[in-house]
Amino acid sequence: MSATSKGRGRAAFTFDIQAIGFSRGDALPESVSQPSPVFPNTDYKPVPLKIGDDEDYMLALKQELRGTMKRMPYFIAAEGEIQAIEKYSFKYKTERDKKLVTEWIPDWRRLPREMKPRKKKKLKVVKQKKTNIPAARSNVDVLKKIEELEKKGDAEKSDEETEEKEKKEDEEEAEEEADAYDEEEQEEENDYISSYFEDGDEFGEGSDDNMDEATY
Amino acid sequence: MADIKVKLETADLAEIENRILELCQQLPHGITDQVIQNELPHLEPQHRAVAINRLLSMGQLDLLRSGTGLLYRLKDAQSSGKMKGSDNQEKLVYQIIEDAGNKVASRVDFTLVMLVSEISCWLGSSVLSAGIWSRDIRYKSNLPLTEINKILKNLESKKLIKAVKSVAASKKKVYMLYNLQPDRSVTGGAWYSDQDFESEFVEVLNQQCFKFLQTKADAARDNKQSPMIQRNSSFASSHEVWKFICELGISKVELSMDDIETILNTLIYDGKVEMTIIAAKEGTVGSVDGQMKLYRAVNPIIHPTGIMRTPCGLCPVFDDCYEGGEISPSNCAYMSEWLEF
Amino acid sequence: MTQAEIKLCSLLLQEHFGEIVDKVGAHILQTGSQPLRLISNDTGTPLDQVKKALCVLIQHNLVSYQLSKRGFVEYEAHHDRVLRILRYPHYIYTAKTLYGDTGELIVEELLLNGKMTMSTAVKKVADRLTETMEADGKAMDYGEVSSTFVRLVDTHFIYRCPAPLEPPEGAAAPAPVAPLLLTSEKDMYTVPKLSMIGKGKRRRSSDDDDDDDASEQQTKRQKKEADSKETLPDDGIYWQVNTERFHQHFRDQAVISAIANKMDQISSEIVRTMLRMSEVTTSSNAAHTQPLSSNEIFRSLPTGYNISKQVLDQYLSLLADDPLEFVGRSGDSGGGMFVINLHKALATLASATLESVVQERFGSRCARIFRLILRKRHLEQKQVEDFAMVPAKEAKDMLYKLLSENLVTLQEIPKTPDHAPSRTFYLYAVNILSSSRLLLQRCYKTVANLIERRLFETKENKRLLEKSQRIEAIIASMQATGAEEAQLQEIEEMITAPERQQLEALKRNVNRIDASENQVDETIFILESYISTSTKP
Repeated sequence: MSATSKGRGRAAFTFDIQAIGFSRGDALPESVSQPSPVFPNTDYKPVPLKIGDDEDYMLALKQELRGTMKRMPYFIAAEGEIQAIEKYSFKYKTERDKKLVTEWIPDWRRLPREMKPRKKKKLKVVKQKKTNIPAARSNVDVLKKIEELEKKGDAEKSDEETEEKEKKEDEEEAEEEADAYDEEEQEEENDYISSYFEDGDEFGEGSDDNMDEATY
Repeated sequence: MADIKVKLETADLAEIENRILELCQQLPHGITDQVIQNELPHLEPQHRAVAINRLLSMGQLDLLRSGTGLLYRLKDAQSSGKMKGSDNQEKLVYQIIEDAGNKVASRVDFTLVMLVSEISCWLGSSVLSAGIWSRDIRYKSNLPLTEINKILKNLESKKLIKAVKSVAASKKKVYMLYNLQPDRSVTGGAWYSDQDFESEFVEVLNQQCFKFLQTKADAARDNKQSPMIQRNSSFASSHEVWKFICELGISKVELSMDDIETILNTLIYDGKVEMTIIAAKEGTVGSVDGQMKLYRAVNPIIHPTGIMRTPCGLCPVFDDCYEGGEISPSNCAYMSEWLEF
Repeated sequence: MTQAEIKLCSLLLQEHFGEIVDKVGAHILQTGSQPLRLISNDTGTPLDQVKKALCVLIQHNLVSYQLSKRGFVEYEAHHDRVLRILRYPHYIYTAKTLYGDTGELIVEELLLNGKMTMSTAVKKVADRLTETMEADGKAMDYGEVSSTFVRLVDTHFIYRCPAPLEPPEGAAAPAPVAPLLLTSEKDMYTVPKLSMIGKGKRRRSSDDDDDDDASEQQTKRQKKEADSKETLPDDGIYWQVNTERFHQHFRDQAVISAIANKMDQISSEIVRTMLRMSEVTTSSNAAHTQPLSSNEIFRSLPTGYNISKQVLDQYLSLLADDPLEFVGRSGDSGGGMFVINLHKALATLASATLESVVQERFGSRCARIFRLILRKRHLEQKQVEDFAMVPAKEAKDMLYKLLSENLVTLQEIPKTPDHAPSRTFYLYAVNILSSSRLLLQRCYKTVANLIERRLFETKENKRLLEKSQRIEAIIASMQATGAEEAQLQEIEEMITAPERQQLEALKRNVNRIDASENQVDETIFILESYISTSTKP
């Protein structure tokens, strides 16, 4: 259709359709009156999965591996998870669900020095905190505590603790408190250092309920 | 039929040509092969064909179809008769088209002429025309477009020429003398029927060829001979396959060995067949230029790959999918369908 | 490293090591090397947790550290190693097929723990095997496990971890800021002299009445073991799984499989023999195996394969002449010298993988066009129509589909300087390498999608799952205290029939998704192997 002609009774466009690739008399594509489907139909379907003994065994291996690793000391579960799991495991703990290995101590000789935690006498600190909490709700008292700590341990350590305390205030203290209490409950006869790595106490298979906090 | 090639002396050829021309003058409406044969009973059909072809290419004879046979007519008589009442321009255009038609587009296969009785599908004309584009007519005649169109229309209505749509360019037409047959470059050959590509036909041939090769390969394997023999007996030459297909009789048109090789090549691209070329003694059945093409059915080297066993492998909206989006693994309809199955 | 790879790594870390390790690991995958403080700051994770996470990651060979020029330690994550987690079941299963249950458990323990000393591994595996033995006092001998361990080392499936330098005797020097870990080539596969005498110990069974007693005893015993670890002769000598060696094995399997599919069993066994003979003499990224003579091959055929020398020669000849070109000739001495063309084989397998994708996604016609262009290298659209014998409209449509999926490329070659479209060649071509790379990325994203869906399905049924597990636990403890059948039945019925169905459906779905993850990894393996042959020098 030339730019100037407007045939009677024919669909007329305000632009030259030849410019977008249609030649004279070509059938125009069907007009669309609704958005295309979100999941359009596919002509082909996936090929069925391979089946066989090998495949079955590898499937079992995969699932067992996942379950086992959740019970290893290498599995570090997040805060919220531990609380939820504790509920069940205390009451209905079975032999099977007990930790496979209760502790793991890394070989410090193979790691950078900074990886090794310092001998925090955390329990003692907590006990102190407990009595001091009402008083520690102000910056002044925070500073006081820092002085106390400096007298106790080595400077390096408290710098770190200072940093941490300066970052977060009451909430963190409360958290640390709760942490210590949990640890107290879970500890058997080991002191803090030995139970550096506690098992991720994952109850049951696959009940990861923190997907919302996934990194991506 | 053996490949007899009897040498023809130039002097003899001239003599034969003259005799044929005389016959044409006697019978101005045209003569057939039969007429020539009656008149010259000792003339070898091969030699007759050579003479006729020479006369045609020299422009002294015209070739026409009548019924199922061929007619040869003196050129001059025909043209002057036909073009009575046409002006010079029309004559010029007609001449151009005629000349184009006389350039024989495909080789005349002498052996084929001899095997007329042995071949069940015989197209009826061994002289085919490629036609000539109207643009080329314009170029040769130097006439303006409007004139050409008028003339062509005229000649068409007088049934002196005809237009044939070309398969090569579906909007273009080639012109040729009314009685000529368009050749493969125009019609598309065995695979086209009225400019329509015969997909189904090609598909059927593809399947039949494969079945033939597969059967042969299976037979070779079951034979349990030495590995070398097994392999060699699984091959079939293109000639063998061609023979099989011809004998099947599924084709309306005659298929050449080249046609079959084209089909076999599609099987190679399907990953189902492999080909090897071996040296063959000159004269071996199915050999061309000292070589033979052998084909055999083969198995695929892998099973469908892992990712194609999941919906994601075929997903049309894969790139738009992310957790939390309108399209995500959690709400994927394809996954749901796949899991339910 | 792409976002798709990082996403998948993150999911794998989360599933196997928990959220915190995931957060830390995914972060340094994204940013590259970072020091401790920065990781803590950027992720908002407390320092002590970051330390724990890094210890775990280093233990499992997923992260390594380096002392930067400015004197602080930087931690770097290795995405390719994290992605290997997907392949752990395959490693374990392979060890089983090659070295039985003992081999299986050794590799499993090493993967579960990242690295172990031989003595710890042997004890652990002996204990586990003893558990599965009939309860008539039988126990697994340490010696047996040791010898399997040694075999795994000899065949390079396990190797010694790089070790820090020995501190000078009696020095009171403080530990180095970042101990340098060195590998000694000659020690990598040298097993220390251990005389491991003893048998595996059975754990107290759950039928035991004193549950608490048992656990107390167990803890005490483990503590004793932990204390006595320092006195073991192979202290500090750690072993880890050699994934590259397993990959070599998988590659060999793929080649053998391809030959078995195309030709026959005997041909594939001959190739298997040749590959076995070449295991130790071929470097991991060699393009060909070392030439083997037909005489040598004949001598090395597995016993029970009684084919004559002439027949073997025929098979070798056929293999060498086959268009696959997996086997090549390399000389005439010794009855004919033959090699396996490893790089060619991987390229062919990658090519076949791409063809498979086109076939299943777009159909046979499109696959034909794809293979056609692959063979002819460059074709115009008209040529594609003619060779493939498809009508113009269909050819155009299919070429467009292939183009939009980057399976085929379009090159413009102008005939005239003005680049006019009517005077330009438009050539279609296939680039196996770049298409393989893109397909590989698609595979990574696919596995991530599958994991996400699996987690979603589980989350949807969380309440029901927990209920079912609670009930199972109750039943178990009731059985232990000798409850009656009727009581047990009552508890079981707390799960309704529709709930049972729902649980079964969930299990079926999780199984299907897990199985498919394994199968996508097969595609990943072929593509990764092929791509690495073209990038390494």
